[in-house]
Amino acid sequence: MDIDLPYTLLPLADLPAHEERAWHVAWNPAKPLLASCSADKSVRLYTYADDGAGSLKFSAVTTIPTGHSKTVRAVAWAPSGNTLATASFDSNIGIWEQEPDEGDDGEGGEKGDWECVSTLEGHETECKSVAYSCTGTLLASCSRDKTVWIWEVHPDADFECMSVLMEHTQDVKCVAWHPTEEILASASYDDTIKLYVDDPSDDWFAFTTLTGHTSTVWSVAWAPWGSYLVSGSDDKSVRVWKRMAEHKWVGVLVLAGHERSVYSVAWGKGRGRKGEEEGRYLGWIASTGGDGSVRVWELNKKAHRGALIAHMPSAHGVHDVNTVTWCPREGYEDLLATTGDDGSTRVWKVVPTS
Amino acid sequence: MAGEIFNPNPIVFSPTKVSGRNSDLLAQSLWINDSDESEDEAEGIDAIDQDEIFDLIRSIYDPEHPNTLEELRVVSAPQVSVGNNHVTVEFTPTVPHCGMSTLIGLSIRVRLLRSLPNRFKVDIYVKPGSHQSEHAVNKQLNDKERVAAALENPVLLDTVEQCLVNAGLRGQAPPV
Repeated sequence: MDIDLPYTLLPLADLPAHEERAWHVAWNPAKPLLASCSADKSVRLYTYADDGAGSLKFSAVTTIPTGHSKTVRAVAWAPSGNTLATASFDSNIGIWEQEPDEGDDGEGGEKGDWECVSTLEGHETECKSVAYSCTGTLLASCSRDKTVWIWEVHPDADFECMSVLMEHTQDVKCVAWHPTEEILASASYDDTIKLYVDDPSDDWFAFTTLTGHTSTVWSVAWAPWGSYLVSGSDDKSVRVWKRMAEHKWVGVLVLAGHERSVYSVAWGKGRGRKGEEEGRYLGWIASTGGDGSVRVWELNKKAHRGALIAHMPSAHGVHDVNTVTWCPREGYEDLLATTGDDGSTRVWKVVPTS
Repeated sequence: MAGEIFNPNPIVFSPTKVSGRNSDLLAQSLWINDSDESEDEAEGIDAIDQDEIFDLIRSIYDPEHPNTLEELRVVSAPQVSVGNNHVTVEFTPTVPHCGMSTLIGLSIRVRLLRSLPNRFKVDIYVKPGSHQSEHAVNKQLNDKERVAAALENPVLLDTVEQCLVNAGLRGQAPPV
């Protein structure tokens, strides 16, 4: 840990591990739930609550065996918090909902079993990522088959494929939706990021390609207030991109420091400087990767500066960290979850260094 | 495997001296947690240096021929470098268009994944200038997700296992 950084990553929980590497973790946006997924083909759910002493207590809820025949690579919650999507190396996407329990009309994920209400087939090779749009009416998926699929979500777990986008020249590693608009970003093994919108009279199309990374782009994430994007790459850099015009995006910042591939980036509201800097404060970016470290950067609009504010060198010991993600729920903007090759999921709180 | 053989007449070299190290580091299945104590115990027996890494990979079979990577000069001790928890292996395909290069690289990666303590990061490259698709091969071999997915392909995994069947011989001749 760097003592001279303004914030510290305080470990809050080290949750029971998967039996093999854990690839991804996602916070439920509406309920106190976390889902992680793994090469062991299962999804694990965890819950958290106030422990009455000013902190949070995390505990395991259940393990969903999924029935995917290969690694579960990614999970994504619908905005309602009631549905979970899984993306698997078996090329399918699973859609999961909790069976309603007759006697339970309260919250929490304790009673009903999670069952697969739909399986989305179509990709030819491994699925790498899946994401719900901000309204929950669209689902995007991507694969080593170089395509991005956009599905429309209908009632009764009915999904209709709206578009198959074949714009990348190599595997697509990650998809992410804009927080308020229907704009999709994809990150690829072809070293580029593409942004897509729907042309109402025609079809979905890529309106721009962001170049600059010199190797595979593993992860892409949107700033919580739109207008900015962050990406992490095998070239060890984290890059920030800004929207200059409706369909024009440019790179504005390169954040260096990671010693190996950056596998995951996330942009949260954070709890950074307010007051006179408030108009310029852009939130906190978290990044992680093969060097096992988690870095948090505070972004400021003035000259597009990004300052490192927290650093945890070996967040999962000697193991790679595969995903880092901010809690999206209000009141929890300083919580981060990470998951790694040791199979475990860890939760951290970004606190001012005392 | 493809029906076409990429290099029907490889040059076979006689193996260099066997190092005499007997211990094979703890065999582990892919990506299983292992405790720090066992790693340190194993390391006490043999230092993990250039020669140890070479010993681990020298008896991997070439996928096309009944020869080891050492015999075909695909791997050699000087082409291995070991830093702080970091191993880099450079290998030389026998011909520049060798379509088996990715498979050879994958076999090296799996062998080291199973033999080395978790703290080691491994990078594998073809010798610069030795392959016409050098960048593409290197990129695949060092993409963790591509490697993981490849090893979930039962046919491919089986082929890798066949290459690794006598990897534990560490340069000694196979029993007759």
